[in-house]
Amino acid sequence: MGIWVKAVATAALSAAVSISSYSVALAEQLKLGVSLPLSGPASLAGNSIREGIDFAIKSANARGGAFGEDVKLFVEDDEGNPTKGVTAVRKLIEQDGVVAISGTYVSAVAAAQVKVAKDYKVPMVSAGSTSSAVTDANTPGDPWFFRAFPGSVTQAKQTASDTLNKLKAQSVAVLYENSIYGKSLADEFKVNFEAAGGKVVAMEAYNPGEKDFYSPLTNLRAQSPAAVYIAGLMDSGAQIIKQAGELGVQTQIVGSGSMMSDKLIELAGPASEGFAVSSMFEPSTPNKYGAEFAKEFRAAYNKEPDVYSAIGYDSMMLLIEAARRAGKADGAAIQQQLQKMEDFPLAQGPDGTTAKFDEKGSAEFTVGLAIVKNGKREWLPFD
Amino acid sequence: MILLQQFLANGVVVGSSYVLVALGLTLIFGILKIVNFAHGEFYMLGGYVAVVGTQLLGLSPIPSIVLVITVMAVFGCLVERFIFLPIGKKDPTNVIIASFGLSILLQNLALKFAGPEPMAAQSGLPRGAIQIGDIFLTSERLAIVAVAIVTVTILLLVLRYTWVGLSLRAMSENATVARICGINVRRVGVVTFAIGAALAGLSGALMSTVFTVQPNAGSLIVMKAFVIVVLAGMGSIEGAIVAGLALGIIESLVTGYLGSELRDIVGFIFVMCVLAVRPQGLFGIKTDRS
Repeated sequence: MGIWVKAVATAALSAAVSISSYSVALAEQLKLGVSLPLSGPASLAGNSIREGIDFAIKSANARGGAFGEDVKLFVEDDEGNPTKGVTAVRKLIEQDGVVAISGTYVSAVAAAQVKVAKDYKVPMVSAGSTSSAVTDANTPGDPWFFRAFPGSVTQAKQTASDTLNKLKAQSVAVLYENSIYGKSLADEFKVNFEAAGGKVVAMEAYNPGEKDFYSPLTNLRAQSPAAVYIAGLMDSGAQIIKQAGELGVQTQIVGSGSMMSDKLIELAGPASEGFAVSSMFEPSTPNKYGAEFAKEFRAAYNKEPDVYSAIGYDSMMLLIEAARRAGKADGAAIQQQLQKMEDFPLAQGPDGTTAKFDEKGSAEFTVGLAIVKNGKREWLPFD
Repeated sequence: MILLQQFLANGVVVGSSYVLVALGLTLIFGILKIVNFAHGEFYMLGGYVAVVGTQLLGLSPIPSIVLVITVMAVFGCLVERFIFLPIGKKDPTNVIIASFGLSILLQNLALKFAGPEPMAAQSGLPRGAIQIGDIFLTSERLAIVAVAIVTVTILLLVLRYTWVGLSLRAMSENATVARICGINVRRVGVVTFAIGAALAGLSGALMSTVFTVQPNAGSLIVMKAFVIVVLAGMGSIEGAIVAGLALGIIESLVTGYLGSELRDIVGFIFVMCVLAVRPQGLFGIKTDRS
């Protein structure tokens, strides 16, 4: 963008805003931070989310950025580790001077990060972390951590009902990752599934990054539940599905939202046939805004977007729009605006989904269910 | 009973891979007195070489194994020559730090070139389960055990009956006397590293067909290997075989009967108990240094 174009854009924008914010708009560039696990066990999702974020920045800057300048992005790798995550947030705020952060994917890391970010009055929008514990820790009415999709409580409730009603499984064994993500989903699933009349025959935890599931699956085969619910990340999920096939476990496998990835189908191979996963976004979405995103993403990257790129895109678009509405690059002002985004569309969820945050910073919408058929996920219609 | 059989079988498979990794580590420690924290990354690299061999070059299983062993043996020689030898000359304890550095370097190189996504080597073996009695296994898992048995047998024979083996054992018993007797210390150093790296790489290659390989794949297994080496007694070959299999089986039983989350703890608890009661390890010989 040439200097003249920039100057004209700046002038036009500042005129549009107001005289009082003129100097601010001219002086400040919008700096936003990203914290994601770009290496380590959660990196598959992390890198996918980053693509969505990069795409959001690219499209926002193509439409004039914010305050007449390009939005500048600072990215840190938190490796899915709470200590590194806190360091990453500190660096983003103290050194890079970001005013809002999109991050992160691992719930335990997000929980640690928001404590720091809040002290600096820097709002965070979840880039994939699902555990409801993180938004529940917000002070009602003054949230600093926002999640533009339903948390583990809603997701587990929906999956419990789908498992019982759509997949017709009366008894379920639960395998969950021993982390706040896995445990919050597993606990909520159990409560809801039993309340609806189903039976949970086993609850088994495994360590994050675990790859050998022969022993727990051997136990599971003996219990022969109608379905297995996995609350965990993609790489372990792929191993469970593959090894269940090898061990001759004949059961319907249902996965949590993290497993909604084509890579899982590739890693698990033919055993992934029939695998069901709770799904907030598919490229074939009935959501018009989401379908538009999918089309543009496809054109830009020459591949299909997935739920991760959709989450990344939504989180970053929200931050940029909130900053535009705030009219200045200021964390507290952005946080105020984020609470009033109920008219802003999301790519995820059914048609017409908007970023209507509740007082704890969570946006609720119906979570769908997708089933793998012939090596492709097929989205079942929303209820 | 059906459960127990399957748990034992699972344990033997995982234990076999532990044995291969721990053998390399114990050789390097027992003979060269080098504590090699980068050993897990040798395992990880072996996995990636197998991915290159089977996916990019399209080799069948046996040539892939040969490729892994060759590449990793050469890699072991280079590491010994250019990192451990020059650094160890000044102060042997620096080698420990150097091995840590090498471990981080290799992980990050893998991240840079292979990326963070898990990759699987194609074994080319028939897919699907093989049922033996009530035990389900895949051909890849059986292959791990078979290759481990063959490798360990060859290694034991080499150590027992060849001139190289004799000089290795002599060095491990008493380096000074071995040197006086005319053993070529340099050659022993190179050979030990070559064997150690090849064993770790072989294990990583075998496991990458079952569990995929990632840049951080070696970080937990090197800790397990240390547990095995300490349990067995530093430098004890037979001990490492027994302890490696035992750890695999115990972990499998713990996972099966008590839960996965306890799996990685048991080994370390065992080590602490053994060290408290028998500091030289289960199979170690107590030596008084003169």
